[in-house]
Amino acid sequence: MLWSRLVVMILVLLLSGSIQAQGSDAVRPAGGWPGLKGDKCIQPTDWMRKNHMEFLKQRREVTVREGVRIRDESLLQCQTCHTSRQAFCDRCHQYVGVHPDCFDCHIYPK
Amino acid sequence: MTMDRRTVLGLGGAVAAGAILLAPGVRLIAAPNKTEASGAQRWAMLIDVNHCTAACTACTDACRTENNVPLFGDPKRDIHWIRKVEVQDEEGRRPPLSLPVLCNHCEHPPCVHVCPTEASFIRKDGIVLVDKHRCIGCRYCMIACPYKARSLVYFQVDVDKASNPRVPVRGKGVVEKCTFCVHRVDDGQQPACVEACQAAGEGAMLFGDLNDPQSEIAQRVRTLKTETIRADLGLKPHVHYQGL
Amino acid sequence: MQLSDFTTIEGRSFGYWALMGVLGLFVLLGAGAFLYVEIMGHGVTNMNNQVVWGAPHVFAIALLVMASGALNLASMATVFGASHYKQFRRFSAFLAIALLAGGLIVLLLDLGRPERLLLTMIHMNFGSMFTWNVFLYSGFMVLCFLYLWAMMEHEKWVKVAGSSAFAGRLILTTGTGSIFGVIQAREVFHSAITAPTFIAVSLSSGTAICLLLLMATYRQTGREMDEKLVHGMRNMMVFFLLAVAYLMVVEKFTKSYSPAFYEVEAWIMTGPYALLYWGGVVTLGILLPLVILFNPGWSNTRGGITTAALCAVLGEVAFVAHVLIAGQSYPLDLFPGYNISSPFLDGQSASYSPAAVEYMLGFGGVALAGILYLLGIRFFRLLPDKAVAPEGWHPWSP
Repeated sequence: MLWSRLVVMILVLLLSGSIQAQGSDAVRPAGGWPGLKGDKCIQPTDWMRKNHMEFLKQRREVTVREGVRIRDESLLQCQTCHTSRQAFCDRCHQYVGVHPDCFDCHIYPK
Repeated sequence: MTMDRRTVLGLGGAVAAGAILLAPGVRLIAAPNKTEASGAQRWAMLIDVNHCTAACTACTDACRTENNVPLFGDPKRDIHWIRKVEVQDEEGRRPPLSLPVLCNHCEHPPCVHVCPTEASFIRKDGIVLVDKHRCIGCRYCMIACPYKARSLVYFQVDVDKASNPRVPVRGKGVVEKCTFCVHRVDDGQQPACVEACQAAGEGAMLFGDLNDPQSEIAQRVRTLKTETIRADLGLKPHVHYQGL
Repeated sequence: MQLSDFTTIEGRSFGYWALMGVLGLFVLLGAGAFLYVEIMGHGVTNMNNQVVWGAPHVFAIALLVMASGALNLASMATVFGASHYKQFRRFSAFLAIALLAGGLIVLLLDLGRPERLLLTMIHMNFGSMFTWNVFLYSGFMVLCFLYLWAMMEHEKWVKVAGSSAFAGRLILTTGTGSIFGVIQAREVFHSAITAPTFIAVSLSSGTAICLLLLMATYRQTGREMDEKLVHGMRNMMVFFLLAVAYLMVVEKFTKSYSPAFYEVEAWIMTGPYALLYWGGVVTLGILLPLVILFNPGWSNTRGGITTAALCAVLGEVAFVAHVLIAGQSYPLDLFPGYNISSPFLDGQSASYSPAAVEYMLGFGGVALAGILYLLGIRFFRLLPDKAVAPEGWHPWSP
């Protein structure tokens, strides 16, 4: 379980470019994502699609360690647009077979 | 408190962030949008033992609610960020004291010194934190801390609907402790225990910026006789006690 | 000593495979224990918020301490010119690697989050004894490999490699002892003499494990070893046991002049861990082996020497267990001179008895070291067919 997670992580790192591009295209519902509000994310959508994991990791680092808090961009604010984690995050993550453990601890507000 | 300084510090970033982020026509609201821990501050706590009563658990209860700290029903493995300690002289001549003990947010924190991955670290404003994303669960910090401020998460804890969303719950196998309610402090609020003590309890706890000479805590620490726990260890704790 | 004198063992006997099988089973049990703890959380162990390092750490640190001591036999030949131990150099260096690997794996697998281990390589805190130990352990292993390589291929590098490995082992055990010695909060083991005591204990237990394995290996493979070599190693053990006793006495003597230590010392000697201290550390670890080895009758028999060496090894485990478990169980003194109590069990001696999974994990590490040793003597030419002693050399005898 533990090592499988590690192996998956390494594979994803190696194949990140192609998998992400294919994954998000293939899994995107025809009529757009359900439960989405607003016109745009805090970064351009295409960029977020490819880089949200690095972006979140970098923000996590500066928030925890430097105390940098940008109110409108905190993790708790994601839900103002991405109203459903199941429909938005989990769906794609399941498709590409990654299991980020952010929300094992963090609470995705409803 | 030090809201003024914080507002000023945050304003630059807030204006910049606001200009980029907010839709045209939306005005910046009153609270600063961006804040950052700064060395200009030194957060500290002062506990007036004379006002702390044995029966009162307002601070510990508030901490559990605010920070989603669970009780497993196993006293040897329960997580305690703050606890009430009964202190009795060995001859039993004086009445026992009851006082809360929490992480002392030392200036020279031994937990930070021993942490192999820098998961335990001290923020610029003096708050000692555990970066739970980085903790490997070696528990050396628990060996090193003289205040027994830390707990290892022995059991899986799941996200609960009743949990406070501002504080993540915990992953098992990492070490955690009091954060001085850093999420509240960064929002210009008081730690939950202090707020509860002032509201429901006896007003024994005071929180503030020691570097701000105008703050109540700085004035009281300067003028009254206050002590820290195990000052002899030279760690310069920043939880001060009055009337020990 | 000619290269051709060294041979591998055949390793086809029933006994060899049976031993491999038993050790393999223990390794599997250890692996199972690791996965179980990993999935269920440390709640399935008996560790708690007072005793955060339990039996796995006792096993691990006992193996690590013994590992650096196991190199001593090689150092005697390379650094101190006792050329009659030259024939055991390879064995000694290889055993050090095997024990180190066994101990290290237990230490790593008991982490709360072992999958994050690589973080120690990415974010290093050079103020931490643990970070230093990461380098010391891996560095010591590399030095032992270089030493082995020099012994097998390039005799001219032996002096350099062997001396570096000797320095490495001293620093390594200082590092291991300092994990505890530098911790100001813990009165039981906070002392500058903790690290030197660890070195002395590593020498006595390392020599003892070498002696035990050499006697067993030579007997089981029908090889010959001159009794004088056994007696020489026995005498080393006597010397090292006396060194352990000396350092412990100095520590207690010094503390007896500081009334601040009376409470903790009284607790060590009469408290819940008094049996471990008097029975394990003092009697089993020091007195009993010394009594046996100074007895003219017992000290010249294989049985007596084996018993004394076993005592020294068990005494080392007891010493490490006492430092760890008693060291953590002694309550932190938040308010010196006052009695304290709280829901977090402040002011109470902790109670701890290891769970089965902890033993499984620990014995898994021991078994892994054993398997590595068995593979080593099977595939590398580590030991001479016939271990001989120089003609005119007569080791002291009681």
